[in-house]
Amino acid sequence: MAEIFDLHSPLVLGLLFRILGRRSEAEEILQEVFLQVWTQAGRYDPDRASPRGWILMLARSRALDRIRRRDSSRRREEEVAGDPLLAAVHPVGTERLEAVERKSRVHSALDLLAPEQRRCIELAFFEGLTHTQIAERLQAPLGTVKSRILLGMNKLRQALGS
Amino acid sequence: MMAGAHEHSARFDELLPAYALGALDGDDLRELEAHIAAGCAECWRQIDLWQGDLEALATTVEPVMPSAELRERVLRAVDDRPPIGRISPVGPIDPIRPRRPIRSSRWLAIAATLLLVVAVWGVWRQARLSAERDNLERQVASLERRLEQTQADNRRLAKTLSLITAPGARAIQLAGLGPAQGAVGHAFVNPTTGQAIVYAFDLPAPAAGKTYQLWWIPAGRPPVPAGTFDVDAHGAARLEVDKVADAAEPKTWAVTLEPAGGLPQPSGPIVLKG
Repeated sequence: MAEIFDLHSPLVLGLLFRILGRRSEAEEILQEVFLQVWTQAGRYDPDRASPRGWILMLARSRALDRIRRRDSSRRREEEVAGDPLLAAVHPVGTERLEAVERKSRVHSALDLLAPEQRRCIELAFFEGLTHTQIAERLQAPLGTVKSRILLGMNKLRQALGS
Repeated sequence: MMAGAHEHSARFDELLPAYALGALDGDDLRELEAHIAAGCAECWRQIDLWQGDLEALATTVEPVMPSAELRERVLRAVDDRPPIGRISPVGPIDPIRPRRPIRSSRWLAIAATLLLVVAVWGVWRQARLSAERDNLERQVASLERRLEQTQADNRRLAKTLSLITAPGARAIQLAGLGPAQGAVGHAFVNPTTGQAIVYAFDLPAPAAGKTYQLWWIPAGRPPVPAGTFDVDAHGAARLEVDKVADAAEPKTWAVTLEPAGGLPQPSGPIVLKG
């Protein structure tokens, strides 16, 4: 388990921090996520996702649950402003090369999206907003938001697959 | 013909990306969930694909290194829990998804996956150990070369010391001449064995195609060649002579500048003499 934790926890904690905006909360969820990995490993299906993907999606799901439970906007704006404990790390060695290559590929794919498409996808993915909530947040028609997400996701897939 | 609620269609293809993203709501969500609950395998297949894309999206965040305390806390908490598979059932991973029956074969699958992770880590560690071993081997080889060099130096010094301290040993000072005015030299001769060692210092580097040649010159007779040599970057050189004839007799020692390879008789300028 220690190996799995060492391998995946920096990215998982990064994702949790990105979603929650508060390190203490991110660390709390991180612990819950790895406990869940340990106790629910039987639910993992290698045909459906990589171990990293499974753990990341567990983390995202838990983080979004937490966001939905709290009166999000005020606290989030307060905390995102700056957490002195935040310590982004830069992996070393092959891990760093791999991370750079991976991020570069995904960022290139994201760069192909129109800014409004990317914005809609990020609001859904990192903030857990639905079509309706995104439309409200962006003051955009609901149909437009749906269309942006559909087109953006398809474009993302094409870019990642190319 | 219109597609029925249980039949997969392009309409669901359009809803699935937002569903995987968690953005679907309202009537769209209810419609798709009803369809999925009816057991649409194609929807599950597509959801898995979309989740893969979302995993890529998740990797765009900056990693944040957990503190050592957090790591310890998590691993300790894990240790306190029952091992994999003995926990009571819990809710679905994704609350908007219906649960799938857990196949016993997944135990094997997860075990295999965890073993794979450990194996990958093992390979990585093995590679590191291998690199470390190579590095250590290089260091050992380097130390062995230095040891050999030191041992050779010791043998040479012992030989020199033995010659210099031999009973009746003679020391001759050589002075710089001609193009090597600042040079000096010392010749040590063991009159019993006929062995000699000559040191030269501050000699200029010889021009291309030239070399220094040592001579010993018996009184009233022509010079006898005793070997050629080059100097190091500091203009120093050491030359051993195995056998000097009539070593007990006084002789003159000289160094001349000669064509590379040396000559049977001196032809160039004398640079050291004594």
